[in-house]
Amino acid sequence: MKKKIEQAIKPFGKERGNLIPILQAVQEKCRYLSEDAISKIADKLKISEHEIYGVATFYTQFRFTKPGDHMIKVCLGTACHVRGGAQILDRAEKTLNILPGETTLDSAFSLERVACIGCCALAPVMVVDDKIYPQVNSSDVGKIIAKHRSRHKKE
Amino acid sequence: MLTIDGKEVDFKEGATVLDVAKNNGIYIPTLCAHSGLLPFGACRLCLIKIENMRGFPPACTTPAAKGMKITTNDPELNNLRKNVLELILSEHPHSCIICDQKELCEKYNLSPTKAGRVTGCTFCPNRDHCELKKVAEYLGIKEINLPFTYKNLPLEREDPFFDRDYNLCILCGRCVRVCQEIRGIGAISFINRGHDTKIGTAFGKSHLDGGCQFCGACVDACPTGALSARGSKWHGVPDKVTTTTCALCSVGCSLKLETKWDKIMAVRPDAEGPANQGQACVRGRFSIPALVNGANRLKYPLVRRNNRLVPVTWDEAAELAAVKLGKYLPGETAFLASPFLTNEAAYLLQKFARVCLCTNNIDTASFFSGPVIESQIKCSGMGAGAGTIEDIAKSGWIIIIGDDLLASHPVLTVKVNQARKQGAAVSLIGSERDINSRLVDICVSVEPSGYFPLISGILKIIVEKGGFDKNFVKGQCNDFDKLKSSLKNIDIRTIEESCGISQDLIEKLTSTILSSGRGSILYGPKILECDDPRQIIGLLFNILLLAGSPAGLVPLSDGANSQGVADMGALPNFLPGYQDIGDKNSLSVFENIWSADLPKKPGLNYPAILNAVVEGSIKALYVTGGGIPREISLKRLDFLVAHDIYPSPLFETADIVFPAAAFTEEDGTITSLERRVQPLCAGANPTGMSMPDWKIICKIAEKMNVKGFEFSNASEVFDEICRVNPLISGHGIWDLKLKDEFTLIPVEKTARPKKSILYEKPLWRYRGVDLTEKVSDLKIMMNIEHRTSNIER
Repeated sequence: MKKKIEQAIKPFGKERGNLIPILQAVQEKCRYLSEDAISKIADKLKISEHEIYGVATFYTQFRFTKPGDHMIKVCLGTACHVRGGAQILDRAEKTLNILPGETTLDSAFSLERVACIGCCALAPVMVVDDKIYPQVNSSDVGKIIAKHRSRHKKE
Repeated sequence: MLTIDGKEVDFKEGATVLDVAKNNGIYIPTLCAHSGLLPFGACRLCLIKIENMRGFPPACTTPAAKGMKITTNDPELNNLRKNVLELILSEHPHSCIICDQKELCEKYNLSPTKAGRVTGCTFCPNRDHCELKKVAEYLGIKEINLPFTYKNLPLEREDPFFDRDYNLCILCGRCVRVCQEIRGIGAISFINRGHDTKIGTAFGKSHLDGGCQFCGACVDACPTGALSARGSKWHGVPDKVTTTTCALCSVGCSLKLETKWDKIMAVRPDAEGPANQGQACVRGRFSIPALVNGANRLKYPLVRRNNRLVPVTWDEAAELAAVKLGKYLPGETAFLASPFLTNEAAYLLQKFARVCLCTNNIDTASFFSGPVIESQIKCSGMGAGAGTIEDIAKSGWIIIIGDDLLASHPVLTVKVNQARKQGAAVSLIGSERDINSRLVDICVSVEPSGYFPLISGILKIIVEKGGFDKNFVKGQCNDFDKLKSSLKNIDIRTIEESCGISQDLIEKLTSTILSSGRGSILYGPKILECDDPRQIIGLLFNILLLAGSPAGLVPLSDGANSQGVADMGALPNFLPGYQDIGDKNSLSVFENIWSADLPKKPGLNYPAILNAVVEGSIKALYVTGGGIPREISLKRLDFLVAHDIYPSPLFETADIVFPAAAFTEEDGTITSLERRVQPLCAGANPTGMSMPDWKIICKIAEKMNVKGFEFSNASEVFDEICRVNPLISGHGIWDLKLKDEFTLIPVEKTARPKKSILYEKPLWRYRGVDLTEKVSDLKIMMNIEHRTSNIER
């Protein structure tokens, strides 16, 4: 992990203005911003870790906990909302036993609530990693998750 | 020229409209603007009207421009501001602000309960300093027409020294900005955004773990009661406020002591302080009440009887001291002047030693002082550095060597930071732990044994590259050739081998000096661990001379008044004002003034006195607060007199202990590291029967029937000091008349065997009292520092 952080930081200069590109690069490489990563960036740019954390928490794109191996997104945009997206999310929460923004204990899944992924005709949708599941109903949710869980175990 | 409220006024380039208004006596309400901080524009209370400008720009972030026509107050603006403040107050408990009984209440500011949570009214710790209230009064807010939302955030009380109740926070950002902009620490920040914004730390760490130094700058900047000093939030309005000088380190911060029931209850930094300008540190801001109000402060003079110290009257103790001290030969007595004594006490102590006991065995009880004074006399002709604190802020480059500046002289880091903001390169020679590495540009991590090779390497590069100030060196420096030839044998490459500093790093450090003109070198007690500290100081002076100025060498002394105690002549070989004891003229001047025969032979210095005590040739020792390392055995000592404020290890052997007043309880002066003579003013009466040190000395002298010690107050002593010491003429920085010519010293590696280091860790002491023992929160903080410094990063 340490290596990954260093690799991500290395190409950038020491100017303060590089902060956000560095944060993005680290998140891309390590999938999230760890305490370690932020203190490394702090050392490089000579900005306090608290200031960096303040900047990073301003943007929703940055995450500070290790995400699960698979990302489950449930859309609650207008079309999905009208067609019962909330029930889908509710079922996903219960199946995984976590709230949106959290990760399961075995760190297999993270759950996120999103607002429109641009395919409203397929509403309500649920996305696992890059695969889009169209017109999901709440009884499908368990099956989809089980399918990915069994695949996850094989890996 | 611009017009503000119909008045034509001039303004300085770069000023904001708020500055212009302030300079012309026009009040614009603000909550986020704060002196010393950059404009921020968070509170939106300073909205104004400018002709031909759209909307209502905030005065604090709008630069003043030629021909502007500004309106700062009219009904429309007032209404607008009222609405803004109402919005702020809709999230801030405000029953106290709109209460119609508040004038009656303010007189006493009683706190009916010590409840932690602030729900408004009399529960708030910031009632007498509340800026919200002031602004609300100005705007005439009588009621809040918005539903009140209580944020219901948890109270944060687990960190030492101050409590945080962010339910009172109005997000003005002063605390965040003061920590980042002025202190350079950045221990807090805005976390999250929008409605969820709060002040916090990365990953919700505690302040202790987050690197907070607990300087209290955020508490002082907070306009509300969100941040409050825990130890002093409940006693309401103080009986009196006294401005004095902090005697816990040598920076010389001005502090305001708040007294209630004749006890120091709280301390705040003085915004007008010449050295600190409203800043302080964990010791000055938070530790003083606990330090001076300890339950076991000495209250009576103590005398040893039947191997026990028993309380006696002042007359009895002074009589005994007078009789006993008079019995010993001049060569058998010695005096140690604590570097925390006032100038008055130090002056009288050396006068007492020389006049009453005819001995020159008197020295400042600090291992650092001796080499510093000696080297400074050699360098500039007087025992003081030529730099001032303001010079540090204006330096083009700064080197910090052998000191943990952030812990020992925290307020100086503010100045270092200021210089760095203006482009100065700051280098640290020492351990990486010494200072938050973010505060410096170049960090050379090296043990004290590596200082000598490193500094000579720097000199070599400067001399060989020829980037030094040739005019100054040619015109005012001697022995340049000697220095040059002594550098011949030094090989930069071997430095890398011997102390592990890469050649690149040395060159990088040197280039900061060569390129940026005048600089400052701050050096601390760790140089004592070098083979020859005197030479290190001399070589550091060389660097400054080569850079073209003899000013800028700043000793980071371990005592608050090391400078003043030396100025007053508490030295074995100098009379007040650095007048050589060997010089017949100055000696006879003092013999006339004091009408006494003075000893002509220079006395023993501090290490020599300690040695003589162990060997037994010194029989009577007079100690004025600390200064005896644990390793020194006092067994062979016959008679020991001590001034102390608390029971100390000396109690085992002391024959007489005089209870001394703490610096918050006495008048007098102390001299900071920039030679600034500043007043001490008593905020409370001395504890119990304790007395200021100078009075104790006068009392003994009186019992000895010696004339010249009849003073009724400290200012009379100071008047005599001004008469006899040509350097001191009153308060303020005393004038250091520099020589016209300086001598560069050659680099010589002395083969002096390395002595074991006796010096007491200088961190956080006052007259031999370990502050962490008296202030429990300080101990918690120390332990954390110790813990984090042991963890590998």
